[in-house]
Amino acid sequence: MATVRGARFFGAVGVGIAVGVVMTVAAAGCGNLKGLGGSQPPLVTFNVMTTGAAPAAPRSLQVALIWGAQWLTEPFCVLPAESDKAAAIIAAGCRDPFGFVPARVAMSVPITPDAPASLSLFDLPSADVMVGDITARVAYGSLVVYDDRDKSGTLELATPHRTPSGGRQGEFEDAADSADVVYGASFITMTAPDQRVAYREGKFNAASAFYPRSGCDDPPPGFAVIGAGGFTREAGLASAAAGQLPPEDPSACTKAPADAVINVALQASSADLREVGCVERANDSSTRYREPPTDAPDFSGRLTACAHLPAFDAGGQSSLIQLVVSGRADDRCMGLTHYTLRGCRENVSCPVPDWDFTATPPTWWPCPH
Amino acid sequence: MRRSLLVWLLLVLCEATAFAEGPLLTEQGWAVRPSGRLSLDAGLILGTPAAWQTGLSAGVGGGVMIGRRWAWGVRASWSTATESSLAWTVTRQDVRVRAVGAIQQTAGRGTFALRLGLGPTVVHEDRVRNQGKRAGLTGSDLETSAFTTLPAADLEAVVAVRVAGSWALIVCGGPSVLIADGTFHGGWTTLLGAGWQP
Repeated sequence: MATVRGARFFGAVGVGIAVGVVMTVAAAGCGNLKGLGGSQPPLVTFNVMTTGAAPAAPRSLQVALIWGAQWLTEPFCVLPAESDKAAAIIAAGCRDPFGFVPARVAMSVPITPDAPASLSLFDLPSADVMVGDITARVAYGSLVVYDDRDKSGTLELATPHRTPSGGRQGEFEDAADSADVVYGASFITMTAPDQRVAYREGKFNAASAFYPRSGCDDPPPGFAVIGAGGFTREAGLASAAAGQLPPEDPSACTKAPADAVINVALQASSADLREVGCVERANDSSTRYREPPTDAPDFSGRLTACAHLPAFDAGGQSSLIQLVVSGRADDRCMGLTHYTLRGCRENVSCPVPDWDFTATPPTWWPCPH
Repeated sequence: MRRSLLVWLLLVLCEATAFAEGPLLTEQGWAVRPSGRLSLDAGLILGTPAAWQTGLSAGVGGGVMIGRRWAWGVRASWSTATESSLAWTVTRQDVRVRAVGAIQQTAGRGTFALRLGLGPTVVHEDRVRNQGKRAGLTGSDLETSAFTTLPAADLEAVVAVRVAGSWALIVCGGPSVLIADGTFHGGWTTLLGAGWQP
């Protein structure tokens, strides 16, 4: 008898729930689930405003966020020049040792002069543009205004055009420069006032020499817009020689939220400005010495000079002379080519050289041997 | 673990042998009691996430039934699934509530049933913007949540094997359907668990 009552009870419950189901079906709300679709909010949005007028009527003015690379200039460019020719080569072929060196273009959007533009970022800077370990790392970026003359929608980063090498090293293809022209950047060099995009994770290593702002507050965690007044080239070189960071004027330091307006002054194209769009193959201050080709390279439009190797490169070959060749004046990027009569691809002072023409140098070789 | 599994398998085989040869082993403690009208079961479930035609939703579920050839009851389950894209990591929790009716047949230690369930599936969705916390996003830019209730139906084949006393091993599964955004979405659901039938 009790079982029958239980059956009726559960039967009633079932019918009740079924009725509830029907009512639920009628009243069910759906459609507010978004799943993996829907709009994707940006991780951060930067606001950019240009000042001044572009020197020429731009075809497609754009602003790009470019993450900076860690880079050290090669010793030849900062050591005292041993001759007037070497000094001329340094002037013609060495970029500003304190300049901003790009690593990657994060994104690019159109911009109108004197009108604000918003640049939204949907991805964090990747680990290869962040300097430091995972407990304290930072990325710096420059907002670069350029004329996208090739209509590619982005700024093509360029490399210096070096002269060909002999041996297997001679098998290379030299890519042509894009027609894009840089008209301004928020961060051009540490020797001038800058406004830079910072992204910090974890702590901040104040001793880091990655675009240092010694004397300024640490960049805040996450995205921010920070700035510094800059230091002189002489102060920078002196601090580097002393193993210290060049000091900034604390009163010229700035720190603002990521949505602060970043002003970019448009200006005539200059070597330093062009270099903002020039990547470097080596970022560790190492110099790649090349095997001279059998036939004379085309040095037209370039400067050449003979110079001794820096003592730490030469090793036991203090008499070895290098031939240094600058880029052409109309190249977009500065760069030097170094030839030696003896050496290896990775190490000019290697004990067993990959090439050795010290006894029989090429006929065109202009330096003493 | 392997030893336990081996022992369990041996016991099951011995039990099957005993069933085939008569009540020899059942008299040693593996006897099953005559089943009543009430049965409860619970176990692990796997199935297609509700309103999502990808991934695998895993969780727990259970129910109570009353009846012999024709049975009625209620069932409920909770399961969760997480999927991600470049921008989002989405976690959905499905709570299924069903009024069920079944037709079932007992054969030896086994009970075979076909079960139809109707009821709502409540879906809770949690979306997190990938990299958002590292970038300092907060609020709805970082994370959003949503609820919805969807009408659904399940048709399941059920196999229950009485193991000892009032306890049984339950395996069930079958297709399911729900209505979302005005369209029918098919799926499937399974359960592996234990049952109790006093």
